[in-house]
Amino acid sequence: MDFRLPAENDPRRAAVRNWLSQHPKPSGRQLAEAGYTVPHWPKPWGMAAEPELQFIIDEEMGRAGVMPPNPINPVAINNCAQTLLTHGTDAQRERFLMPALACEEIWCMLFSEPAGGSDLAALRTTAKRDGENYVVKGQKIWTSLAHKAHIGVLIARTDTAAPKHAGLSAFLIDMKSPGVTVRPIVDLSGHENEYNEVFLDDVRVPADRLLGKEGEGWRIATSQLQTERVALSKPGAIWGAGPSARDLVNGLAASGHLSDPVVRDEAAKIFIEGELLRLLAYRALSDRMNAKPSGPEGAIRKMLAAPHGQHIVEMAKKVQGPRGMIAGEQPFPSQVGSGRGSYSDWDYAFWFSPAVTLGVGTQEILKNIVAERMLGLPRENDPTAKLPWIEINRAKST
Amino acid sequence: MNFSLDEDHLALKQSAAAFLDKEIALEPLLKPGASVAHANYRSHWEKVVAMGWTGIAVPESYGGLGLSCVDVAMVLGEMGRTLAPSPFLGNLIGTWALLRLGTEEQKQRILPAVAAGTARLALAVGDAAGDVADHSRELSAERSAQEFLLKGARAFAIDAVGADWLIVDAHNAETGRRGFFLVDTKSDGLAVDVMNWRDLTRQVCDVRLNGCVGEETAPFTPADWAWVRDRILFALAAECAAGTQQILSMTAEYAKERVAFGKSIGSYQAIKHSLADMLGQAECANVAVLYAAWALSEEAPQASLAAAMAKAFAADAYVDCTHRSIQIFGAIGFTWEMKNHLYLKRAHANAELFGNSRAHRSRAIDLAQQAAA
Repeated sequence: MDFRLPAENDPRRAAVRNWLSQHPKPSGRQLAEAGYTVPHWPKPWGMAAEPELQFIIDEEMGRAGVMPPNPINPVAINNCAQTLLTHGTDAQRERFLMPALACEEIWCMLFSEPAGGSDLAALRTTAKRDGENYVVKGQKIWTSLAHKAHIGVLIARTDTAAPKHAGLSAFLIDMKSPGVTVRPIVDLSGHENEYNEVFLDDVRVPADRLLGKEGEGWRIATSQLQTERVALSKPGAIWGAGPSARDLVNGLAASGHLSDPVVRDEAAKIFIEGELLRLLAYRALSDRMNAKPSGPEGAIRKMLAAPHGQHIVEMAKKVQGPRGMIAGEQPFPSQVGSGRGSYSDWDYAFWFSPAVTLGVGTQEILKNIVAERMLGLPRENDPTAKLPWIEINRAKST
Repeated sequence: MNFSLDEDHLALKQSAAAFLDKEIALEPLLKPGASVAHANYRSHWEKVVAMGWTGIAVPESYGGLGLSCVDVAMVLGEMGRTLAPSPFLGNLIGTWALLRLGTEEQKQRILPAVAAGTARLALAVGDAAGDVADHSRELSAERSAQEFLLKGARAFAIDAVGADWLIVDAHNAETGRRGFFLVDTKSDGLAVDVMNWRDLTRQVCDVRLNGCVGEETAPFTPADWAWVRDRILFALAAECAAGTQQILSMTAEYAKERVAFGKSIGSYQAIKHSLADMLGQAECANVAVLYAAWALSEEAPQASLAAAMAKAFAADAYVDCTHRSIQIFGAIGFTWEMKNHLYLKRAHANAELFGNSRAHRSRAIDLAQQAAA
């Protein structure tokens, strides 16, 4: 057991530093071609990097001030593109992977629907085979990046007679296709386009855009949520993209609030929570390095990290008093924090925070998963799981 | 870097678990009026000695095993998980204190006997309010020829009863500063009594010294006391983290078996979500303790911060989870005949001993700010 992080003179750092000095402002394509976008993937897309090297790459890029490409094209890089390695055809890999990793084609995830959020498998969008095409009809919602995206990863129902999980298929659709309409959702922070509605009206999708086989949609969708790269992101607001607990304590110290014993105690709780979440992430990394099963940390970390992010920004907002209600007002005298772009804005991070216990699985669903899979508690009975999907809706309508 | 436990650690933990699962039966404590004496206290201790665990923190040069804090965490965790009624913790704390504060002669005289299990140590540094800082003058030491005479009292001394040697801190009238003294418990003028302590699995004691002789220990700095204190915090945290895991397992099992309205209560989300929260706390407490164990083993600069975080987090987690466990068991969990209250009381006791969570959180903030500066 050794909690030391890779040393400053670790020889593996040299190559990374060297590349970064030759490419001080690398383009998305340069990063992707060098393998730094997805170092954990096999060649030629990545460099088959073990977790410790991934850690070094992240750290060196951070020091060189090079923004990692993940936040630009998160759906492709963090979640969906990797499934092409196992489920895609050679032609699909050739067509889609490099533009996605280079952030030249942005992806979005067409999963959730108005009638299927937590119960994703109940989704109603259909894809009917018609000659060399599928014809897609339905509506998606809560789609991040849909307004910018070139490619949508779609889960749609190809078999309405099968049970709900079995009748789903995955597609890669062109978001510029006729029949695709994107409408922004103005969320409570006032931002547009963080989330969107996507209407799919008889969208024709070439059959070669089917990912895997018909009926494999559920398996592909759930595996996409598990392919995430070993999470090295710091724990913090907005799923780690915003201010951290260390930032909070530094801000409270700078603004003199730490001398208030109540503030101090609350801040200390949040600080310790953040440090322990960081250690849990490192332990997950170690377990991967030791080729141990990744254990319960993944689901538990998500369950803990989202409320932790809320605690950070709630505390910062609370010390502002009524000034915190002025739009855009920042809590601390000087800007502290390592968040990037709009994510470094404490006010935005606060008003965004209700979303972090909803997106990527609601907190309630996550707790069910933790309790059922990690503690072996009985699974919630789903009376619709075995029925042909078409009968579920009939039952509802009568 | 490797944040996972090595095979050696896991093997030690497993052997400790196997031994204690066979050895420890808390049932005798589930009758009103019972004390540790009814729970194989003496015979269990003999077996602990035979396992060599009394020498776990004693360096090999003094006849011990010289194991690291990570190893200690494996054994101590299992002791905490099973609530083993034994003076293991008090002796361990006394060992650390003598190791860091004793003179070379004192260490050579006493530590080999501790390792062999023929002598037992305990530390007595609490005042009547349980404060362990050095401003207490409830015990004073006055020089009389080559010796010091100790007058006053110490409280909340873990496992002091039955110990052969106590290490106490006192106000040294000669220097006007805090000093540590070694006391032979056979000395005249010493009285040790078990307090009416709610945690039934442990003997926490009042110590009264009425002109009792004390040997001065080695000159020390605040850093030496901090070395001892950090290990005590880590030890209490290790018990808390393992106890949290144990009460979670017991409660999850109960929730699967107990049926209401035709379903096991564990299928209801109110119960499920509470258990998921407990698991989150247990995981964090566990990693906090291992990090502290590692930092202490390495004498890393962040050791004090790691120990403070571990004590504050693990103690609060233990208190919260033992409370939740009683709520999930329902009214039966409120009775003396169930084990839940033994864990609840250990949790509260550990949370209050050697500084409460709020005090350690405040220290953690200072330590983190100093480290960042």
